Amino acid sequence: MANSQRVILQPGAYRGIREGIALMANAVRPTLGPLPRIVALDRLVGEKPPELLDDGGVIARRIIQVAGKDRDMGAMLVRQLLWRMHEETGDGTATAVVMLQSIFEQGLRYVAAGGNAMVLRRYLDKGLPLILNHLDGMAVPVEGPGQLTQIAESICYDHEMARMLGEIFDIIGEYGQLETRSGRGREMEREYVEGMYWKSQPFSRDMLMDKARYRTDLEDAAIVISDLQIDEPRLLVPVISMVAKAGIKNLLIICRSLSDEAQALVLYANKKNENFKTVVTKTPGLTPTEVAGVLDDVAVLTGGRPLRRAAGESLDGLKLVDFGRARKAWADRFNFGIIGGKGDPREIRTHIARLRKAFTGTKDSEIRKGLQVRLGKLLGGSATLWVGASTEQDIALRKALADRTAGALRGAVREGVVPGGGVALLECRNLMREQIEKSTNRDEQMAYRILVRALEEPTRVIIENAGYNPDEIMAEVRLAVDGKGFDVRSATVTDMREAGIFDSVAVQKDAIVGAVKTAALALTVDVLIHRKKPPESVNP
Amino acid sequence: MSEEIRTPNAVYSLAVSPGFDKDGVCFAACRSGLYKSDDRGQSWRYAYDSLSLQSPLATLAVVTSPDFESDHSVFAGAPGGILRSVDAGETWSIALLPSPPPLVSGLVISPHFDHDGVMLAGTMEDGVFRSAYRGVHWARWNFGLMDLHVLTMVISPNYAEDETLFVGTETGVFRSTNGGRAWREVDFPMDYAPVLSLAVSPDFANDRSLFAGTESSGIFRSTDGGEAWAQVRADVGDEAVNGLLISPEFSTRPEILMMLSTTLLVSRDGGQKWSEWKTGFSAPQGLSCVAAPLGLDAGAPLLIGLVEGGVLLI
Repeated sequence: MANSQRVILQPGAYRGIREGIALMANAVRPTLGPLPRIVALDRLVGEKPPELLDDGGVIARRIIQVAGKDRDMGAMLVRQLLWRMHEETGDGTATAVVMLQSIFEQGLRYVAAGGNAMVLRRYLDKGLPLILNHLDGMAVPVEGPGQLTQIAESICYDHEMARMLGEIFDIIGEYGQLETRSGRGREMEREYVEGMYWKSQPFSRDMLMDKARYRTDLEDAAIVISDLQIDEPRLLVPVISMVAKAGIKNLLIICRSLSDEAQALVLYANKKNENFKTVVTKTPGLTPTEVAGVLDDVAVLTGGRPLRRAAGESLDGLKLVDFGRARKAWADRFNFGIIGGKGDPREIRTHIARLRKAFTGTKDSEIRKGLQVRLGKLLGGSATLWVGASTEQDIALRKALADRTAGALRGAVREGVVPGGGVALLECRNLMREQIEKSTNRDEQMAYRILVRALEEPTRVIIENAGYNPDEIMAEVRLAVDGKGFDVRSATVTDMREAGIFDSVAVQKDAIVGAVKTAALALTVDVLIHRKKPPESVNP
Repeated sequence: MSEEIRTPNAVYSLAVSPGFDKDGVCFAACRSGLYKSDDRGQSWRYAYDSLSLQSPLATLAVVTSPDFESDHSVFAGAPGGILRSVDAGETWSIALLPSPPPLVSGLVISPHFDHDGVMLAGTMEDGVFRSAYRGVHWARWNFGLMDLHVLTMVISPNYAEDETLFVGTETGVFRSTNGGRAWREVDFPMDYAPVLSLAVSPDFANDRSLFAGTESSGIFRSTDGGEAWAQVRADVGDEAVNGLLISPEFSTRPEILMMLSTTLLVSRDGGQKWSEWKTGFSAPQGLSCVAAPLGLDAGAPLLIGLVEGGVLLI
């Protein structure tokens, strides 16, 4: 029968999910810790050497399907979690997957022994906020480039990269824009760009005065802030005239589109009057939300009034007070920027505070990303990190590592850090043990026992990956006081704070949440239904 | 040739040599340029003679090197650039700041200038410029500085360790803990700004204290390194707190001098109680800046710049 479906009931459903989870977890597991193992991935085409990976998110992304449809479903559950974490948090994927596997395996044994998966899920969810609060309580703020470098190094284990990123984030802050690019040599370099800039193109390169650099600098510029479509040249004449009469010598016009005739007028005016320059550049932003955000931000920064197409506004009736002003505006082939916007500083600070509040008030990752970009610009500056290495392959690997480290470092700056090496999670075990003592419900006690065991798993795997016996080392760690863990590099049980080994609390929290939620969900999957010809997709 | 500053010529800033007690050297930044005294402010001469200027060069800020006795370095802020002298103000070189030409409103210099060569310039609407090259090369560093109208600046006496600086702006106070390369807002209420003056405790490494003087809301104090602020004196009417000085022995003698528009007040208990610096003292015109070259002991000399020109020595 065409398009018939195959239905898998228990115990086949659990078996398939379990094997799929195990496949993905065992592929990512070796990458956890400062002495990770590498996963080699065969290339699809060509005779290039295998891709060498040490990032759980990327490994998960590369595995788009596993053999056996039942197993594939379990594997894709894990893949979705790891990819999301990789995109949003930048780190913690291996930590999440080892805990997930532990919770699922233990939960499965409990269900096989007669336990109720839905009830177990409920109590796993109940224990989660307690762990999160405990982690928050342990967190301390990051202070200074030295500590930022320590944290970066505990994520990337690359001293040069850590030093660069520590310095960069000490300067640009948690919201600052950072772009990583492939380097020009073996070294790493960084560059800071002052002021705010947006991706945009001028409507004609002939508007850019410096032909060597394809750039124009406009000092003490007036700015028209809009997303208007300027079709008729006559609309520009009073605008240019008004600005010139006010003694202003430079004009930047931001608009959605500019007709050829209007463009010709601008070029003619520039040529005719060497002391007055106009550059017209495209309104940045791909979506209406992005465009609205840009207009608002530029208006506040420069003290101007934005003209919005959607509101039916036009250049007619534009007054001198409506123009934004800046100490300097600039435009090149790819961007335009503002240095020293002359907006009211009180309004600028209030606007930034409003955006910050919106950022902390939402959990939507797309909205947060957009707000972070806006805040980064408004706080005045950005950095570029040029990542070099010996080979192209190494550069790509190192660049991916830099991106991941930067993402995790940003979270660390924002939310703080906790003792690293899995120690912060170990310290949550006593809290769960207290809950076991308090509870009289068998299912609830079991859920907390499962969490106690799962919270140990990252430390065990770190120790194992470094080549040590986890049982022996964990016995030593258990005897040690709080805050002490195993430093695999020095092979000693040590106070992680004193040793400068930290983890981002945001990453730890995201890992435990992802592990608990996904494992609990998997435990409640009772039936698998396969379509005859499932759609193929590389997206999670 | 010695001359007194007689002409209507606002004095914006004063700087004294660290060895003032021996050499008596001090500088006054004025609308018409920079003036130098070698006799503790008794008489003054124009310091820009060597430049052969065709028109006056307004100078809004001046600072001497902490090692002035050995390096003879002094720096002056003028529109668009910083003037640098390495012979105690006899000759000058000019370092232009990146365009558009900013108006330098204040200068601070690292206490370890001989090692790090660091100094910073605050400007009226272009934020902060920083040099790590003894004032020869400058770059703008305004990351996180949401308000570019810098009215006053101070540097931590422990800068070599903590790399901390503060700026007072139209909307409040910003702090840098990485040598001026990035700034973060602190919890200073915007309603009480602008901040016209700042003074940091000489024992900042331990007591984490500093004071901020505002345009119309009196004085505020922070005891946690500038993070949080509390009002310590509000009853100054509408008078602006144009200057604040702290005693060099603040940890044992918590003395603070507050300069209002026409009066000088002193507190000898860390800001709780205030009295006139000198009973019956009344300035003939507005006060613009003050320097206390030998501390704030009773009877210690003060140099006071006047809004309409002249430097008082009391």
